[in-house]
Amino acid sequence: MAIFVLVNTNHYDIKKYYLLQNSMNIIPQLILNSIIAGALYSLIALGFNLIYGATKFFNLAHGVMAVVGAYTVFYFTKILSVDFYFSIVLAILLAGLVGYGLDKLIYLPLRRRKSSNMVLLVASLGVFTAIQAIIAMIFTSQFQTLSKNNTVQKTFEIAGGIITQTQLIIILSVILITVGLFILLYKTKLGKAVRAISDDENVAKIVGINTNKIIGYVFFIGSAIAGLAGILVGLDIGIQPTMGLGLLLKGVVAAVVGGMGNLYGGVLGSFLLGFVENFGIWKISGEWKDAIAFVLLIAFLIFRPKGIMNSTRD
Amino acid sequence: MNKTTKWIVGIVVVVIIVFVGYYVSKGPSQPTSTEPIKIGVVAPFTGDAGALGENVKVAIEIARDEINQAGGVNGRDIQVIFEDGKCNGKDAANAATKLINIDKVLVVMGMCSAETLAIAPLAEQAKVLLISPSSTNAKVTTAGDYVFRFIPSDSFQGKFAADYLINTLGKKKIAILYSLNDWATGIKDVFKQRTEEIGGTIVGEEGYQQESRDLRSQIIKLKELNPDAIYFLGYTEATIVGLKQMQELGVTTTIFGGDAWDDPTIPQKAGAAANGARYSIAANQQLPQSFLDEMKKRPGGEAMNSYSPRAYDILKVLAGIISETGDNTDKIKNALYKLKDYQGIADKYSLDANGDIETANFTIKEMQDGVIVEL
Repeated sequence: MAIFVLVNTNHYDIKKYYLLQNSMNIIPQLILNSIIAGALYSLIALGFNLIYGATKFFNLAHGVMAVVGAYTVFYFTKILSVDFYFSIVLAILLAGLVGYGLDKLIYLPLRRRKSSNMVLLVASLGVFTAIQAIIAMIFTSQFQTLSKNNTVQKTFEIAGGIITQTQLIIILSVILITVGLFILLYKTKLGKAVRAISDDENVAKIVGINTNKIIGYVFFIGSAIAGLAGILVGLDIGIQPTMGLGLLLKGVVAAVVGGMGNLYGGVLGSFLLGFVENFGIWKISGEWKDAIAFVLLIAFLIFRPKGIMNSTRD
Repeated sequence: MNKTTKWIVGIVVVVIIVFVGYYVSKGPSQPTSTEPIKIGVVAPFTGDAGALGENVKVAIEIARDEINQAGGVNGRDIQVIFEDGKCNGKDAANAATKLINIDKVLVVMGMCSAETLAIAPLAEQAKVLLISPSSTNAKVTTAGDYVFRFIPSDSFQGKFAADYLINTLGKKKIAILYSLNDWATGIKDVFKQRTEEIGGTIVGEEGYQQESRDLRSQIIKLKELNPDAIYFLGYTEATIVGLKQMQELGVTTTIFGGDAWDDPTIPQKAGAAANGARYSIAANQQLPQSFLDEMKKRPGGEAMNSYSPRAYDILKVLAGIISETGDNTDKIKNALYKLKDYQGIADKYSLDANGDIETANFTIKEMQDGVIVEL
């Protein structure tokens, strides 16, 4: 190929050669970028779908659980100087507890009152805004970093693409959590109850399942996963009280594309979204990235409204 | 509800409307001379560029306190009302509507270019003055008769940056990574035009949503074009993330930015990833030590940016003018157009027929090991 360049002094040909070469080099990194993005969206979509499956309402407060998780780690490590890994465990538990508490304090009374899902959605939006505002008041709305120090992260090269340690951990977490949720849902009694509630809450109640208790657990698990997502985003990128909305939006798009309430649909949707977003701007300018994500959403809403995994029949 | 309660509720509502209507219409028609002079500030306090807004707020508060402690303006205190414009047009327009219609401010200050450009038509319509310490977008020049700014336009900065990169540093192939907002797209257009005029090439340009924190695919596309330099126009948050992601992805070319990088939190949080990154910014004079000390004393004041002393100057200029003209907007406006060689703490200001400052001096700063150094 070098000879090719030397022989062809024509500027245009050289440019074409460069473009060809460029396209080849960029693919592994684009694949990795897509996987990283998809993994992040999955972490949000998993918990979101778990909660949606059990309660059938759009829990917008899910996004702010990520913020709770991230800021708990920030508080413990940077302000109280608690051990890093211990803080992460604490933060995940706390995010779960906040989710559990919200269910008991706000959503459960509303469900008891037979409030419509629209009321629950508005309530969760209120929760989202309130918690975000409280966090902004305590920690200021400045952008912060979670990583232990400001030095460069360890990077690995995979098939010509570069990935950082945190990003590897993100991908591993998604695999672990997806497998973990599968075991929980299909191999345990709790899982059976959750699936029963997802199928039909009233029937589940009739057969003697304490649905409110189980939904409480679902909130705990879903919110804890969101908390982990927030921490990992914080380690990879950084944290801000407003980070929840962006995460939630992408997670919800992934959940809708994959199939609302369907856990594995959510994961598939997330990776589809990640790939479409990153490969979508391969040949066109990067400013279209978000537009592409929402075009995907609209396309699914029109042509396959129940998502990849859920069949279209009612 | 029976008929009687309906009547009672109806009467109460009517009474409330009458009272509110009476006081609202009465309010501004009888201004007493002891009422404070209200000035509204729309700046980002949350979200993107929030740290810049917080710092500007401290500087404005210092100016306000100094004016009020010296007896105010003709015996009237200056009252500053801060609203969060979140560095975007939509929130800024809401904030300005509230400031203009409810608080009845005399002057609005806008910070981000998107904020100022969104407020301009509202201010113009309501005949309220709009002054910016920091909006550099070229369109602000023609945004209206009531619009002023105390910082040079990007029509100068974009040229300056292109000249510096191509002529001073000798970089010929430039790639642009920019945020999709008025500030970045404005400066990018001027930069591109100038680059091509003086023999440089724009090898590629990639945009990203202002709130986006994943620029990897844009960066990798630009990296593959082998540019001599990347012109990176972003606000604080995306800049920190973008610089880190560039380092992770092995980008080693020269990185150059615009005036919004004048935020000390960027080198603090991006750490080594920011080392060697340079940017252009309106040159400020040596600031008085008393001002620097006062800024350090107040929470949020330490991370000083170049806009803050300019915001301080604006309030001082206004106080000076209002003490002569009173709170008549048109008189203040005319006085602003006549402002000539006003010596502030950051600059010497003379305003031209468009309400822009006449001078355009820039300087280059570089990030080194967590701090910003002027070259």
